[in-house]
Amino acid sequence: MVQVLKDIFSFGDRPLSERIGFVIFIAIVLAFPWFVELAYARAVMIRFLLFALFGLGWNLIGGYGGQVDLGQAKNVGFGAFTTALMTVWWKTPFWLTVPVGMVVATAESFVVAYPMFRLRGHYFAIATLCVALVWKELFTFWDWTGGARGVEIPLKAGADFAYMQFPSPIYYHYFIFFLFITQFLYMNWFRKSKLGYELQAVRDNEEAAASLGINVTVTKVKAYCITAALGAVGGSFMVAYYLYIDPHMVMHIDLSILIAMTVMVGGAGSIWGPIIGAAILIPLDMYLGAWLGGMGLYGIDFMIYAFIIMIIAAREPKGIWGIVERIRKRG
Amino acid sequence: MKPTWLLEVKNLVKEFGGVVATADISLELEAGSIVGLIGPNGAGKTTLFNCIAGYYKPTTGKVFFNGKDITDWPAHRVAKMGIARTFQTMKIMPNLTVEENVMIGAFSRTGNRQIARGEAQEILELVGLVREAKVYPTELPIATQKRIELARALATKPKLLMLDEIASGLNPLETKETIQALQRIKEERNLTLFLTEHVMEFIMTISERVIVMAAGRKIAEGTPEEVAREDKVIEAYLGKRYAKGK
Repeated sequence: MVQVLKDIFSFGDRPLSERIGFVIFIAIVLAFPWFVELAYARAVMIRFLLFALFGLGWNLIGGYGGQVDLGQAKNVGFGAFTTALMTVWWKTPFWLTVPVGMVVATAESFVVAYPMFRLRGHYFAIATLCVALVWKELFTFWDWTGGARGVEIPLKAGADFAYMQFPSPIYYHYFIFFLFITQFLYMNWFRKSKLGYELQAVRDNEEAAASLGINVTVTKVKAYCITAALGAVGGSFMVAYYLYIDPHMVMHIDLSILIAMTVMVGGAGSIWGPIIGAAILIPLDMYLGAWLGGMGLYGIDFMIYAFIIMIIAAREPKGIWGIVERIRKRG
Repeated sequence: MKPTWLLEVKNLVKEFGGVVATADISLELEAGSIVGLIGPNGAGKTTLFNCIAGYYKPTTGKVFFNGKDITDWPAHRVAKMGIARTFQTMKIMPNLTVEENVMIGAFSRTGNRQIARGEAQEILELVGLVREAKVYPTELPIATQKRIELARALATKPKLLMLDEIASGLNPLETKETIQALQRIKEERNLTLFLTEHVMEFIMTISERVIVMAAGRKIAEGTPEEVAREDKVIEAYLGKRYAKGK
């Protein structure tokens, strides 16, 4: 028990420079709303934390597991729709809907995981993409999920900690920061756990992993299910934050790809990768898009975006964190 | 009373789309012995290893371990049963350090990281890799990588250790060291060793008993001296002309 707590909070295996960097990062995030009052900048910060959170979850299957999952949006959707529908139907408080959303996402993943993990590499990636597409179409088609119109959340007056509705973005800032840091600490524990090591062994060499007593399929399925549960939490947050969701917003293929991209750009399989990736891609997406759009240059931001991703994919498959580690090794 | 062997292979046949890789192989391994498996390229040695370790499903035939039928068991279950192996073509985990590679083996018996790390350190000491513990294996020479595979296999605490060409590519001095190390480890860890090898001075020195395969069949079995005198063995390696001309 003591060991588990130590594993959650300890970064002792990381170099001092990384630990200092992380403390500075936390300090900046915590102080941010007190120094920046611009509504747009605050929105960018919240979206950054949300995608850092999505990245942390995806990093489990995609980074530590090495399985390119292009369907994480379905889990975001499961979380979002569970929270939204439970709120509308039964007025269930937010914090009760979160675990339910996680269970829904995990259950679905458990069912589809076994057939999907008969596939490898690109074929697995295509399968995850297809499953997510099917779910999005179903949620758009069904009436009971609100269909294409989506679900609107009834407004509460003032700050409401049961439904997590707040009058000011400052609340949402600390709300998403709390969710982010919980998942971050979970991942810090996970990477040192038995499953964490076994998953990395499977990623690096399946045959060798099996020769050491690791059930390759079971390990992948476990990772896939945990990733689903982590993704659902972000979906629930989106409901409380936007007060409205539809399948296009929470289950779209663009979301799946953006989640995978943030991790790959930042550095898959590293604890810092998702944070770095989100810190680069999200502001780029939101500022560059707005700035160029303001000049009437629509679509240019996507091209710049794609260019950065191509460069990183071609030059450094381990992402920006890979570059950092290489420089450190040389120095 | 029939003695129970540690490993018993009965009439094992493995075909790949009509091509027979091993034909009707039967063999027994006594607990605590060191048995070598030799034969020219393509004799079916690695196929036999893969059938025993659960990587291939035999077409027909049975494999018994400690008297238990393990024929159709998947590789991870066979590993947990107490059969560890190394691979002919290196299968190292490149993104894990040497110590972590070995820890993975220890995790097959414990969920505790501290215990796994402790065991890994013990084994790294045993095989002489303490200084390389925190290094990534891809930065190390091939001979060292082979020792990592050996350490990793040992960390599962096996009863039977199958080594697929552990000495290939080693120079004579390294070969000699490997033999001594293996004999020492075998005594210390109470192992049974089953090895394939092309390096004759390695296999003929270390093995108590040698099984010879050619074209998927077992053609001879005995002590290294006996086997070396067999006409069939010389024929398999050098061709009929040389065997007759003797």
